[in-house]
Amino acid sequence: MIVFEEEIKKFHPCLEVEEVADAIYNQDMTDMADVLVSVVREAKVEAEGKNTDKE
Amino acid sequence: MNYKMRCYNCGAHLTEQDFCTNCGVDVKGYKHIVMASNRMYNDGLEKAGVRDLSGAIVSLRECLRLNKNHVDARNLLGLVYFETGEVVAALSEWVISKNIRPNKNMADTYINMVQENQSRLEQINKTIRNYNQALANCQQDGKDMAIIQLKKVLAVNPNFLRARQLLALLYMDAQNYEMAERELKKCLKTDNGSLLTKRYLQETDNMLRPKELAGQDVPEKKAEDSDTIRYINPNHDLVIQPAHIKEPKATGSVFNVLLGIAIGVAAAFFLILPARIQAVREETNAELIAVNEQAADKAAQLDELSVQVAELSQKNKELSSQLEQYAGTDGNLELAEKLLTAAQMYLATPDEEGLRTIGRNLMDIQEGADVSTLSDSFQNLFRTLMAVAGPQISDLHYNEGYAAFQEGDFTTAIDSYTQAVFFDATDVETLYQLGNAYRKNDDTENAKKIYQQVIELFPNTDRATRSQQYLNQLG
Repeated sequence: MIVFEEEIKKFHPCLEVEEVADAIYNQDMTDMADVLVSVVREAKVEAEGKNTDKE
Repeated sequence: MNYKMRCYNCGAHLTEQDFCTNCGVDVKGYKHIVMASNRMYNDGLEKAGVRDLSGAIVSLRECLRLNKNHVDARNLLGLVYFETGEVVAALSEWVISKNIRPNKNMADTYINMVQENQSRLEQINKTIRNYNQALANCQQDGKDMAIIQLKKVLAVNPNFLRARQLLALLYMDAQNYEMAERELKKCLKTDNGSLLTKRYLQETDNMLRPKELAGQDVPEKKAEDSDTIRYINPNHDLVIQPAHIKEPKATGSVFNVLLGIAIGVAAAFFLILPARIQAVREETNAELIAVNEQAADKAAQLDELSVQVAELSQKNKELSSQLEQYAGTDGNLELAEKLLTAAQMYLATPDEEGLRTIGRNLMDIQEGADVSTLSDSFQNLFRTLMAVAGPQISDLHYNEGYAAFQEGDFTTAIDSYTQAVFFDATDVETLYQLGNAYRKNDDTENAKKIYQQVIELFPNTDRATRSQQYLNQLG
């Protein structure tokens, strides 16, 4: 059974054309590739740190 | 389509090796991510091809979450957004896409397409504002107004999926499930993968066809359906009309003819006859009104004549009164009679009593009418008598007055002197004695009036001097 009051909460106002810039700036642009590169770089730094300690 | 991989470290094209041939960085994991994003892009592309736009959006967003630099996925996502009426979201994706790849990018074309037609863009922006307003109205219990606004929005931007879904929800809330179903089917034409649309459609289906859902009495439903045809006309109204038109049977023709005759007779009785009666009544009323008007005219004439009769009666009365003044009770003219009597008596050389009678008649004539208005012969005879008999009559009354004065009967003296003055106003002594009689009778006012006449009519006489002395004494 559809309950109007519950369903209406699922509808949100649309952004107007003047608000395009805000929509772009507010997008979260981080992707999995960024995460991977970050992880790899941290791992590399960590490995270099261990090598320095051994020497 | 496969996305060409570039090294995340140096940007060089990657080969089949698990490391970058340019900088030597390990790209094995990176390659897995990019390939996964490519798969999601392909999935999104396939769903968009069969108009499963909701599914395409999910896949393409997943693709971009894996690889934000996937320009084709971003452009396609923008197109899908644009198709569902989400212009701002579409423009966002295309602008970001152009930022990632400034040259040779389809996003350029899309952005130009939108920006070149500024009036259309403004129109779409207006529909967005109206949608937002309609949504606010829904939350503030202005559902009727919201429906009107959403209809306007969809007339301009028919693919605005969210607006149409909201309109369907409003129809469902108003229990207008036919209209809701119609809108939801349009939603499916735009996007056949929307779970929201399908859920609403299932609800409307349950409300419109509950028996079919329960698996009960299906044949009856089919029978009902076979009797009627339902469709929605261009004015958005649900029309239900019979599916079959029965051919008239020959056996019913006679009955139909008889029924027609009966209806005709009934129509004549109930429609024509009352109209005829009404016409006759109106005619009679008109005649009655005319007769009443004539009666009113006659009554007015009667009133006018009554007034004239009253006026004439009054005039008659006045004339009769005037005639009575001239005529005696035996029908003779009284004044003429008196004058003739006086003339006859004077011609017969009257004695003292005769002179008195002549005097009385002349006084009656003088007091009874304005002599100047009577005939010339009457006036001449009256004046002649006054001239010839007047001094004798005056002397007679003077003597009577003098005797009464001497005896102290001033009232009789005043009466006698007054008559003497009437018949001979040229005698100063008579007038002077009248003044004395008034003075002796203590009638100061009349005495002064008479003395004043003596002074005015007979100035420079001894009697005028004495009159002035008496006037001074009387104050």
